[in-house]
Amino acid sequence: MAWIVADSSALILLAKCSLLEIVCDLFDVIVPKAVSIEVASEDLVKNYPDAALISELTSKGAIKVQSLGSDRPSAPLSLHKGEEEALLLAIKLDGALLATDDGKAIKAARFFNVPFIVTPKIVVELFRLQKISFKKARKSIEKLGKIGRYSPEIIADALISLMEKEDGKANNHKDI
Amino acid sequence: MAKPTTIRISEDLLNEINEMVQELKLDRSAYLREVLRKGFSLDKQDRLLLKYVRKELSQMQVCQELNWPPWEFLTQLKSRNLHLNVELEDWLDAAELPL
Repeated sequence: MAWIVADSSALILLAKCSLLEIVCDLFDVIVPKAVSIEVASEDLVKNYPDAALISELTSKGAIKVQSLGSDRPSAPLSLHKGEEEALLLAIKLDGALLATDDGKAIKAARFFNVPFIVTPKIVVELFRLQKISFKKARKSIEKLGKIGRYSPEIIADALISLMEKEDGKANNHKDI
Repeated sequence: MAKPTTIRISEDLLNEINEMVQELKLDRSAYLREVLRKGFSLDKQDRLLLKYVRKELSQMQVCQELNWPPWEFLTQLKSRNLHLNVELEDWLDAAELPL
């Protein structure tokens, strides 16, 4: 299974879209210890259902917590501990994909040539790979706009992309 | 312990404050301390969120500075009609899922 290293922003939005479990089923979702503390500490679990879900998936081993170890590389950039460790872990696990919804973390990922993915793209991709229905994908993208605070232009583009993929599938079926 | 400080404000504003303090029977110093505390807190939030929008700070850096849980961050963006600092270019350049 492919590796996805997620930071707090991506875990939260995937949980909000009810897609975290399916992503954990399909991929090796890995988080550094700092991210686990940021989103699933005891206090947060009591107050936020998403935190409780992340904690539960971590307990089950569906989300793996991994430390950077002693050969931790240094990052010449300023990020919060969790975002920084997620990036460094993605660098360390060669071929891993960094899931983040933070512009500054993406900027850092670009600097280090680390492949990254944002939650709307995960949604569109899950639909392309036929892991979720069109209805579910559309609902998730709409949630990313309303609750996830994604900009209207990204949401519009994601919906267009989704519809294009839906049309592509329909046309393929017609051809058959 | 509270420490004294001095600021100059316009006469109009000072009169307005005095009128309100008298009308509501408030302690002027305590009232001004409260106003300053509330105003400072809001201004700090606004300034840090502006830095976030400019990508000078990350989401979790803002949360740490303001002592917010990550979920509060999204609520605050909504209340100010702000959006995540992810740009269209980031969405377009995002990788595909490796299945």
